[in-house]
Amino acid sequence: MDNLFLGMAILFFGGLFTLLIKNQKLKVTIVALCAVISSVFCLKSAFSALFIQNSKAVFSLEPIFQNVTFCLDNLSAFFVIVISLMSTLGIIYSKGYLSSYIEEGKSLSAHCVFLPLLCASMLGVVTVQNALLFLIIWEVMSLSSFFLVIFENDKKEVLKAGIKYLVYMHVSVVFIILAFAILSINASSFDFAYFGNVLENNADLYTLVFIFAFIGFGIKAGFVPFHNWLPDAHPCAPSHVSAIMSGVMIKTGIYGILRMIAINPHQEVFLGVFVLVISSISALYGVLYAISQHDIKRLLAYHSIENIGIIGMGIGIGMLGLAYNSPLVCLMGFSGAILHVLNHSIFKELLFLGAGAVYTKAHTRDIEVMGGLIKSMPKTAVLFLIGSIAICGLPPFNGFISEFLIYFGMLWGLKIDNFATFIIFLLAIASLALVGTMAILCFTKAFSIIFLGEARSENVSKVKEDVNGIFLFPMSILGIFCLLIGLLPEQIFNFIVKPASLFTQEIPSFVICPVLKIISICAFSIIALTIILFIIKQKIWGKYTTNSTWGCGYNRYNPKMQYSASSYASPFIKMLTPLFKRVIDIKKPKAIFEKDAHYSLHMEDVEEAYFLEPFIHSIEKFFAGFERIQDGNIQSYIMYGLIFLIIALSGVVILG
Amino acid sequence: MDKHTILMTLINLTILLFAPFFVIGVIKKTKAFWGGRKGVSIFQPFWDFLRLLKKSRVISSSTSPIFNIAFVIVFVSTLIAGLFAPLVMGFSIINTSCAFIIFSYILGFSKFFALIGAMDTASSFEGMGASREACFTTIIEPAFFIILASLIALSGNYTFSSISQLPQNFGSLGILIIITASSAIFIMLLTECSRVPVDDPATHLELTMIHEVMVLDNSGIDLALSSWANGIKMVILMGIIGNLIIPAAIPLKISLLCFIALFIILGVIIGTIESLIARLRMSHVFEFIFVMSSLALVVASLSAVKIYGV
Repeated sequence: MDNLFLGMAILFFGGLFTLLIKNQKLKVTIVALCAVISSVFCLKSAFSALFIQNSKAVFSLEPIFQNVTFCLDNLSAFFVIVISLMSTLGIIYSKGYLSSYIEEGKSLSAHCVFLPLLCASMLGVVTVQNALLFLIIWEVMSLSSFFLVIFENDKKEVLKAGIKYLVYMHVSVVFIILAFAILSINASSFDFAYFGNVLENNADLYTLVFIFAFIGFGIKAGFVPFHNWLPDAHPCAPSHVSAIMSGVMIKTGIYGILRMIAINPHQEVFLGVFVLVISSISALYGVLYAISQHDIKRLLAYHSIENIGIIGMGIGIGMLGLAYNSPLVCLMGFSGAILHVLNHSIFKELLFLGAGAVYTKAHTRDIEVMGGLIKSMPKTAVLFLIGSIAICGLPPFNGFISEFLIYFGMLWGLKIDNFATFIIFLLAIASLALVGTMAILCFTKAFSIIFLGEARSENVSKVKEDVNGIFLFPMSILGIFCLLIGLLPEQIFNFIVKPASLFTQEIPSFVICPVLKIISICAFSIIALTIILFIIKQKIWGKYTTNSTWGCGYNRYNPKMQYSASSYASPFIKMLTPLFKRVIDIKKPKAIFEKDAHYSLHMEDVEEAYFLEPFIHSIEKFFAGFERIQDGNIQSYIMYGLIFLIIALSGVVILG
Repeated sequence: MDKHTILMTLINLTILLFAPFFVIGVIKKTKAFWGGRKGVSIFQPFWDFLRLLKKSRVISSSTSPIFNIAFVIVFVSTLIAGLFAPLVMGFSIINTSCAFIIFSYILGFSKFFALIGAMDTASSFEGMGASREACFTTIIEPAFFIILASLIALSGNYTFSSISQLPQNFGSLGILIIITASSAIFIMLLTECSRVPVDDPATHLELTMIHEVMVLDNSGIDLALSSWANGIKMVILMGIIGNLIIPAAIPLKISLLCFIALFIILGVIIGTIESLIARLRMSHVFEFIFVMSSLALVVASLSAVKIYGV
């Protein structure tokens, strides 16, 4: 525990210390150093909590906070590992990524304070056991990430996205406060440990609390329909910040939901189905919109929604397992969800860092103008490919393992109870399969349009070299993690079972371990056979002649004739047209050689266009009515005060 | 490993590797028959394969090393996926709980590389094929999962090969489930292996092709591997249909004969369909594939009725 506090302190004070330094490069270096040192301490304490003994520290902060407990139980320790590992890799990457901004002469003072502060506050959020202090640290986390998002604050759209993010986070905090308030009034304590006692035998109260908490934490995590801040905030933030936010920060929302489930071992079927349905919709919605995006970081942001949905499906399955008293379904659901938290943080961070590397070289996020980058940036391309395969959940990489665990839970759930559960689990299986294939469509699109074929614009064809080692180092580590988890699922499962055991005492791992062993053998044999066959192929059929691509007899080839991202996605999008709001910007040619003629098509979020915006407009309209009261006349303001006092006084007199 | 396992493994592996040529030969022979021609020998696809291996390759100058390795991965992962699928006597070489998920995801891995291999050539035609193929998969895969999940829940045992237990426990509902499930898988076969009415392997117009256009720039070993992998996929799916129809608890020789008969019959059916009807217009292909989804839902509800009663 002390090691964890030491790690948090190093991050916090290291960030503050950079304010004293003028040299921008040195600032970034110091932040990176602090992150590395602190991660050593944090990992040490988390691993010892996980494998030796859970630890706990109690401070007495009377009278406001009462006793504050910081606790490293299995769940917290797991999240501490994810947070400190992933944010450290992101911060190391920032050393390379920010160098081009330093050359431009941009000031990094605020960035260098808030980046370590964000990491420290995330570590705090997942360990503190006191509702009041939790909310304060949660707020610190939201605010510091807000300042990181508006890094390029001279751009209008960045500020707009930042403010949207800020508003969303505060709506989120309102719901969390509601949930905690109900609990702490009933328990007359802020300590999480006492919350469980209240909920025993009080299912209605738990339903209310859980739904508030789910909305609150769900906004942070990005469940549909609370997801709208993600696709706006991620493209605007610098790549390492999006990586840390998407890879790690939104998982604190998942942590909150898991913590809410952990305090009450008696779950209702209704809540499990609720979580499962919302999550399936999130997963489908996220990947559907990801397919229609051309901005690489927006695409990845929508994929975060998809993956949060998959994690949520695992949680929903776990809750149903608890409700139906089936330890196997429960274990598979929760361990799949928890492993997917780890996996998603790995491959999403890898993909965001890869996108950042591409942005550094090609200076654009629009994939429609890219192409052929594998020739100039081979290392980035291979790492991005690993991330893409992993995020599609394909073996032999890590995404498959967690999705398999969730499938496993669902399949065993088929025989759990009755007709209705059979259909629910079956539909969940189908939607997870649909999400998987749509992810394949999306990432074959993203990878091949960015890296394969020929460059679609002049700027991109000018890219001549790959990014340097400081970019590639964190990415390679993440890539290796992707492969390792995919190759050694059994060992990872034994690790992941520890946090999952918080939800169920029985661990029927003998059912799943033989299957995981077979997956591991398969993964190894796919890789080994591919290598062997490839070597044979190169030895015998290695010689070839090159020629241009078959153009159907047309020999004036132009890179613009390649299939573009929108044309690749078009058969699929066409099938589901009603689910999009199509914004077409067209100017038809009038003269024979019209120069201004153009056509562009964007897919906008229906949820935002048809639900959120009308909602906000109606609120604005309502509050616009109050403008009349505020007439700028000081006399009337004094009168309002007087009226209020009279009403209050008479109220006191009447009510006694 | 006992003697029986080794024998079955060898038989299944042989079928997996060499039946593709045979099945395609049968299809070609049938088409020749309907066309009033004598046609080539049914072993011709195998000789074609060997001829491809002897040829040297021409590779597009736009490609990257991805193109070079993609089709090796496509072949290897299709083969490994095939080890999970049940064939003769309902025997899967790798038999484990929930194996059909591993099977589908390994096939998905192979599809991923087939798609990016096609996109690597910077050809507009190959992009078109890849985009259609990816789109069809999104419709097929959920339906396949629904069918297989209901079937293994029905058989009670969670292994992939347990579907071969179903034909023995007929009953009127059982027959209905088996007929719907196998016709759904047959639609999947026509789509995944790009046969008429989804795709015409013999067409000469790039704009209407799906799978053929994805391998337009492949030659020599690359073309050989990709068509072999495609054939293996066809045999796997035929094997699944076979296990739904042919009972598992019969002697090896009879089971083997049944499967050979099945390959011939299905080949003749595919060849007949290909000779008698034209491929559908692209917009109608979606409707055709959605038939599989509806059949899958029928299988699901029938299985639910069978397990839990109404």
